[in-house]
Amino acid sequence: MSIDVTNVSFSYDPGTSLERTALKNVNLSIGRGEFVLIGGEIGSGKSTLIRHFNGLLRPSSGSVSVDGAEAHVKSVRKKVGILFQFPQNQLFARSVYEDVAFGPCNFGAKGDELRKKVTKALRMAGVREELYEHSPFTLSGGEMRLVAIAGVLAIRPDYLVLDEPLSGLDPEHRESLLKILRSLHMQGSSVIVVSHWIADLLPLADKIILMEKGKISFVGSPEEYVKSTSTPLPEITSLMKKLQQKGFDVRDDIFDVGEALNEIIRVKKERLGSMQ
Amino acid sequence: MSNLFFGYIPGTSPIHSLDPRTKIISVMVASIIIFNSGSFREMALIGAVFLALFSISRISYRAPLSAVRPMMIFLIIIFLMQLFLTGETILFSLAGFNATQEGLYAGLLLTWRFVYLLLFASILTATTTPSMLTVGIERMLRPLPLEKAGISSFDLATMMSLSIHFFPLLYEHLEKLKDAQMSRGLDLKKNPLRTIYSLSVPMMKIAFRSAGEVSLAMESRCYQGVSRTSLFEPRMQRMDFAALLGFALIMGSIVLLA
Repeated sequence: MSIDVTNVSFSYDPGTSLERTALKNVNLSIGRGEFVLIGGEIGSGKSTLIRHFNGLLRPSSGSVSVDGAEAHVKSVRKKVGILFQFPQNQLFARSVYEDVAFGPCNFGAKGDELRKKVTKALRMAGVREELYEHSPFTLSGGEMRLVAIAGVLAIRPDYLVLDEPLSGLDPEHRESLLKILRSLHMQGSSVIVVSHWIADLLPLADKIILMEKGKISFVGSPEEYVKSTSTPLPEITSLMKKLQQKGFDVRDDIFDVGEALNEIIRVKKERLGSMQ
Repeated sequence: MSNLFFGYIPGTSPIHSLDPRTKIISVMVASIIIFNSGSFREMALIGAVFLALFSISRISYRAPLSAVRPMMIFLIIIFLMQLFLTGETILFSLAGFNATQEGLYAGLLLTWRFVYLLLFASILTATTTPSMLTVGIERMLRPLPLEKAGISSFDLATMMSLSIHFFPLLYEHLEKLKDAQMSRGLDLKKNPLRTIYSLSVPMMKIAFRSAGEVSLAMESRCYQGVSRTSLFEPRMQRMDFAALLGFALIMGSIVLLA
C-alpha cells in the first residue's frame, strides 16, 4: 500500500525549442499513513512531481503506481486527493455545501452517503455551519481555503497531497489547518505536504524529501534532516544547532521550545555539577 | 500552445526588423486581396507569397500551425454550412441536407481564405512584439478624430496590449484550474456541462480580479490614457517603404493577372 515512483523523468513540451526537463530519474516511495514533506526551491520540480501521483501528468519515462495500480487509472483520482496552490480559485458552485459535494458527486456518491461525506468534510475542515448555504464568493480568503480543503477531504482520499497549503494564511487559519493535518494523519491517512519552506512542518513529519533541479537530493527522517546540512530549519532547531557549534553538549533534533528549554537546563546543571 | 498561439517569437530576420506599421498595413493589404481572389489559381499564388514570407521570417512552422489549429472547429462549421446550404447541383445527401458542387467549391474557397488570414496574421504577431504592435496601431489611429467618440488612440492601444498580455496569463490559470477540478474527479469528456460550469465560473472570477489588480497597479503608477510617450519609437525607414510597395505590387499583380 504505497505510492511508488520508479525512474521517473518528465519534460514539458518535448521535441520543441521550449522543451525543459522538470524531473530527472526520480525514485521514491510513500507508504500509507506516512506524513511526508517535500521541500525544495521554487522550480525544483515539486509541483510537477505531485501531478504524477494522480495521473494528471504521465511520466516521459519510468512509472508511477498507487497501491499497485497505474497512476493514470481513474480510480486513483479517488485515492490521491490533491489540493493545489491557491485552492480558493477552484470554488465555483452556488453554495459552500454544493461546492464540497462536487468531488463526491463526480465519484458517484448519492443521497445519504453524499450528505454524510459532505457534512463530515465541512466539519473536519472547521467550516462554520451557518456558512454552508452561503455563496463561496462571499467568504474571506481563509474561509475559502478551508472550504477548498473540505472539497478535497469529502472525496476521502487515502493520500492527501497539499501544495503550499500554508502560504498566505493568517495565523489563526494556519493553526487550524495544521490541526486538520495532524488529525488526518492520526486517523491513518497519508499526508504529503509540498512547500519551499518546510521548517514549520518539520515536527509533524515522518519523512522529508528534498528536491533540487528535478532530482531528489535528500530523503530521511526529521532527525537525519537536522543532522544534515540541509535548510531551512525551524528557528528553535537552528538555535540548538548554533549552541552545539559553540561547544555546548545539547541535542539538535529538537523542534519544540519547551523541550529545548529542558535540554538547556539539563546541560547547564551538568556544567555547574562538573565545576563544583 | 499558449506561447505560440499568435505569440511573439524573438528573431533577427528582415521581417522582424520592419516597422510594425509596415507589417500591419501589409496584413491589411493581404486580407483585401485574399477576399477579392476568386479562383484556386490565385489562392495558390497567395500561398506561394506566404511561403516566401514565412521562410524569410525564419520562424518555426509551429507558429502559423498553432494559429490555425484552435480555429479548426469554426473552419469546419463554415465549410459545412457552405457545402450544405448553398448551390443546386447535388453531390450527395446526408440527413435531409444536400451537399452541392457549388457549395463544395465555395466552402473550400472560403475556409481557405480564413486559413490564409490566420497565416498572414500569425507572421505579423510572430515577428512583432506586442508592445511594438500596440505602438504601431496607436500611431496609425492617432490622426483619426476618436476624441469625439470619447476615446483616444492611447486608450485603444492600451486596451489592445493588455488583452494580448492577458492571453497567456488566463491560459495558465485555466490549466491550473483544470488540474484542480480533475483532481476532484471531474471527467472532461464524460461531463461536458459540468466541465464548462466548473471551469467558467472561476475563470470569470479570476479574469475580473486580475483585470482589477492590473488597473490598480497601473493607476498607482500614474497611468492616464492621454498623450503617453512610448518606450519604443518606431520609424518608417526606406526599407519599410520598399517592403510595403513591393508587397502591395506582388499581391495586386496576383489579382490582376488571374
